[in-house]
Amino acid sequence: MVTANPFIPYSATLIKVTDLTPDIKLHNLQLNDSALQDKFDYKPGQFAFLSAYGVGEAPFGFVSLAYQESGIEFAVRRIGTVTRALHELEPGAKIGVRGPFGNHFPLEDYKGKNILIIGGGIGMAPLRPVINFILDHRDDYGDLLIINGARTPKDLVFTNEFDTWSKAPRTRLELTVDRSDNKWQGRVALVPEVVKELKPSPVNTIAITCGPPIMIRFVLVRLKELKFANEQIVTTLEQKMKCGMGKCARCNVGDKYVCQDGPVFTFDQISKFLEQY
Amino acid sequence: MKVITKGNLLSWLRQLSQKYTVIAPVTSAEVTLYEPVSNSEIEKINLNFPNTDLSPKNWFFPPSETLFTIVKNEIPKIIPASAGHEAVLFGLHPCDAKGIALIDKAFLAEPADVFYKEKRDKTTLVGLACSTPCLECFCTSVNGGPADPTHLDILLTETTEERYIMYIVTERGGQLLTDAPMQEAEVTSPVPPILNIVPTEGITEIMPRVFNDSYWDRVADRCIHCNICAYVCPCCYCFDIRDYVSKEKIERVRSWESCQSPGFSRIAGGYDPRSTKGTRLRQRWYHKLLYFPERFGDVKCTGCGRCVRSCPVNIDIREIITDVQRMRA
Repeated sequence: MVTANPFIPYSATLIKVTDLTPDIKLHNLQLNDSALQDKFDYKPGQFAFLSAYGVGEAPFGFVSLAYQESGIEFAVRRIGTVTRALHELEPGAKIGVRGPFGNHFPLEDYKGKNILIIGGGIGMAPLRPVINFILDHRDDYGDLLIINGARTPKDLVFTNEFDTWSKAPRTRLELTVDRSDNKWQGRVALVPEVVKELKPSPVNTIAITCGPPIMIRFVLVRLKELKFANEQIVTTLEQKMKCGMGKCARCNVGDKYVCQDGPVFTFDQISKFLEQY
Repeated sequence: MKVITKGNLLSWLRQLSQKYTVIAPVTSAEVTLYEPVSNSEIEKINLNFPNTDLSPKNWFFPPSETLFTIVKNEIPKIIPASAGHEAVLFGLHPCDAKGIALIDKAFLAEPADVFYKEKRDKTTLVGLACSTPCLECFCTSVNGGPADPTHLDILLTETTEERYIMYIVTERGGQLLTDAPMQEAEVTSPVPPILNIVPTEGITEIMPRVFNDSYWDRVADRCIHCNICAYVCPCCYCFDIRDYVSKEKIERVRSWESCQSPGFSRIAGGYDPRSTKGTRLRQRWYHKLLYFPERFGDVKCTGCGRCVRSCPVNIDIREIITDVQRMRA
């Protein structure tokens, strides 16, 4: 059932729900129309609206890769009415999916470059398919450095993939938390401070960051100190959205609609409209 | 030129109402609104109004509209709303036709807004040149004019002796006139009315320079975020989408929203890039006078004056444009 009306969600079934952290669940779902599920294509950085029927819908970045067999995945943090309702759903539940919307990380253009991933909290969600795409095409890319932080150890997401990531060739995973707990033996530092400490080289490197606005702001400061040029820094913006198609005007920043012109922007693009936030 | 008498104009509308939904200005209790007018009610159409209280955007983009319905207690089966009948929107002034054309730029851009487009495609616009502008109007300052036919299918201009010049703008308009009782006659077009001049020239160049001025906070200080400016505006189109649940069904409804509402840009978790009245009011005027022109090539204002008339605290777009020009130096 390919609908010509992008306001109408595709019907989907929740296949599996996994706890990632105390307030983040990984939702794995499949479109009910199997022909559509097979050809449903999306790229890292794009997003879709998930409907909890009767409660509403909200936008989420894809955290899976379209070519994976395992279904479509979203990381849902319980933080509002729609996410609360999505958290209450169990496998077998019917939900709506509208998308894909937005642009994507231009990973084709980054071939041959070193990649620096800087993610904070749920901000790792849209970065996970970027990491997994690079690992699936490891020879196409240079060194991969992943800096992943969270408020506390139990707020780190995708922990069961850390082993795969850190053992991959030319790949380094650096974890950090804002506040430690009894068991944590790793680094305790804010994400921007880890960037300062590790001093990644800007030479032939693309830095991709996502996290809370305050983290992104200071990560940008640190990257600028390391002489990263604005066009070498890529981020994905979060804005209030209702339609995903440049109509409702909720995500308007400057002459851009985050839903259509973004959510992925280089800092070069953002610096032109950042003050209009 | 083609001319029609007032009597024949009404008979023509009566004819049209048998085939189309005719929407036209009707005045009741001193409020003038575009309303569907049945065959027997054609006499009620007001042909001499300064401006309607609400704009005709309501017909294409209603205050609230169901996008789809899900019948409860079943596997969710989505029943999309069907929209629109073949219609004639009659009597709109050129400024209101311009308002529709401005919404078209956003809503008909790919991917088109299906609900809007369906109604838009089914509606023919028959305009009435404006002979009695309101005190607050300034259409000629925002690329419009009281007799501008550009965004219409037919433009009527009233002359003396209750006759109207019929100017066919589009082929679609011509088809509507096949059975219209018109005559060929030479009549003199009336002298166009004089409108306020608002200094809009070069506004898009100045706006970026005054973004951080405390002016926006000062103007917004008296705003009570009642949102009437957005609701009466013929080209404001921000909306919200929510689910409404009743005993039998779930409806997904979109409704008008305004960038002046607290929480308009607040995301889950509480982060709000426009948490103050000043930042929200500034967004309104920057969207109209800078961002929309940058994206779509025209100022998002028709000069209809409705927001000026309706604002309970006298926030006036004409003053804002003038003040921004003064900040140029």
